[in-house]
Amino acid sequence: MRRWRRLVAPSLAGLVLLVGWEVGVRLSDLPAFVLPPPSQVARTAVEVAPLLGDDVATTLTEAGLGLLLGAVVGLLLAVLIAAFPLVSDTVYPLVTLTQTVPTVVLAPLLILWAGFGLLPKVLLVALTAFFPVLVAAVTAMAAVDAEHAEMVAGLGGTRRHQFWLVQLPASVPGALGGLRVAATYAIGAAVVAEYLAGQSGLGVFVQRSRKGYEVDQILVAVALVAVLTGLLFLLVDGLARLATPWQRPSLPSRPGRTPA
Amino acid sequence: MTTSLSTEAPTTAVPALEVAGLTVTFPGVVALHDVDLQVGVGEFVAVVGPSGCGKSTLLRILAGLTPSGATVTGATACPSAAAWMPQRDGLLPWRRALPNALVGARIAGQDRTVAEARARELFDEFGLAGFERAWPHELSGGMRQRLALLRTCLPGRPVLLLDEPFGALDAITRRRMNAWLAGLDLAGHGRTVVLVTHDVDEALLLADRVLVLSERPGRVVLDLPVPRDGTDGARRSLLDALEVMTRPR
Ligand SMILES: Nc1ncnc2c1ncn2[C@@H]1O[C@H](COP(=O)(O)OP(=O)(O)OP(=O)(O)O)[C@@H](O)[C@H]1O
Ligand SMILES: [Mg+2]
Repeated sequence: MRRWRRLVAPSLAGLVLLVGWEVGVRLSDLPAFVLPPPSQVARTAVEVAPLLGDDVATTLTEAGLGLLLGAVVGLLLAVLIAAFPLVSDTVYPLVTLTQTVPTVVLAPLLILWAGFGLLPKVLLVALTAFFPVLVAAVTAMAAVDAEHAEMVAGLGGTRRHQFWLVQLPASVPGALGGLRVAATYAIGAAVVAEYLAGQSGLGVFVQRSRKGYEVDQILVAVALVAVLTGLLFLLVDGLARLATPWQRPSLPSRPGRTPA
Repeated sequence: MTTSLSTEAPTTAVPALEVAGLTVTFPGVVALHDVDLQVGVGEFVAVVGPSGCGKSTLLRILAGLTPSGATVTGATACPSAAAWMPQRDGLLPWRRALPNALVGARIAGQDRTVAEARARELFDEFGLAGFERAWPHELSGGMRQRLALLRTCLPGRPVLLLDEPFGALDAITRRRMNAWLAGLDLAGHGRTVVLVTHDVDEALLLADRVLVLSERPGRVVLDLPVPRDGTDGARRSLLDALEVMTRPR
């Protein structure tokens, strides 16, 4: 019942929007280079699909590598911040500062320093991805259950034991939560980087389409970014579940009577 | 090698645990007031008292832990390494039962294979066999307590500090665990044990000495050596001491 609603309700809402769009465009006689109707976007999608394979592969590679790099760096930094107060005081504000630089400013700089290849895109994705991982992991490590820390201390555990037995594992669910958030940004960040300077990728496709005023192709790319992001999110979510098997029954038992 | 059974607790020797003039204050609450306690090496002391009188607090202090927000005055000495079992089991949710049981052994730096073999034996003895790979949330309250006790005893520390280890057990399992704990001492390990309990009979069965704490702020109102033959008299004095406090006023 609940699953059914979670699947059908948004699909229905999406369908209503699409129909509204189609009808609206047809009634108002908007030219296709301003806003094509969804039926035309769908036709274009079928046409260009065979040409998009390489672009999609490039974008996915950048997003995947960037996400991985970001997650590793985020977790390592979180560990350092949790273990050494000095690092925390020194690094945390600076790291937060990196997040205030807009992507459109950062991307050309990265390209300047790292060339036109894959590397600057991966770095840009990593720069957007590591922050949510870092913040979530640091928060989780700081909020370690006093009960667990006390138990380790009561058995004679040192700070090293606290770290390996309690702090680090306690941060994993938090870090994975951050990674889920990061996964939703990754594809978008890769596309922006490609858009600004790239030879291949969905961003390049968008750039080309924009120059030709092919709005329908841009919309195809938009839909593709959404779908790819959704798939990446599902993948990360699945991996996160595998990595935290003790959290499986996360559904709280709902209060109320058991049905007769 | 028959000496360890008959000797009375050697309170004259260097004590395994000692607190003197211990006062613990939380903001707005005095939990313990001027508590003196000496526990000899190899001695088994039970601590009873009404809920909220500071038993857990006393045990934490003996374990060398300072409860958060507490002001502690007085002298404490716990020279040998202790293993403390919290009242709430403190199991780590991200470790299965067997790895949870090995936490104490790992901290003590024991060889992993040896500790694991011993742990598997104890899983059997504690009625936990078959649950080695269970997650803590899949265990019942009593099973979690037994697992926590196993984790605490496995490293073989000379001092055990147990905070209501059998609170969630049914009468029969409780008796079995009591027997196991009693056997631990008789086997000649010479372990010092401080056990917090609400069960007077358990205290009399296991302990060489029973300490009765008063209502908050906890003070020692009775320090009763348990005679090895016939505990009826001791039982009566204990119940009397506890009843004075819980009588409606
Ligand atoms: N961390 C804490 N912060 C504030 N007050 C505390 C804290 N820990 C204990 N107390 C207070 O100290 C008193 C003694 O607590 P303690 O846990 O030692 O009681 P207890 O004898 O173990 O009770 P029970 O038999 O119910 O376990 C209580 O009034 C409690 O409210
Ligand atoms: Mg208590």
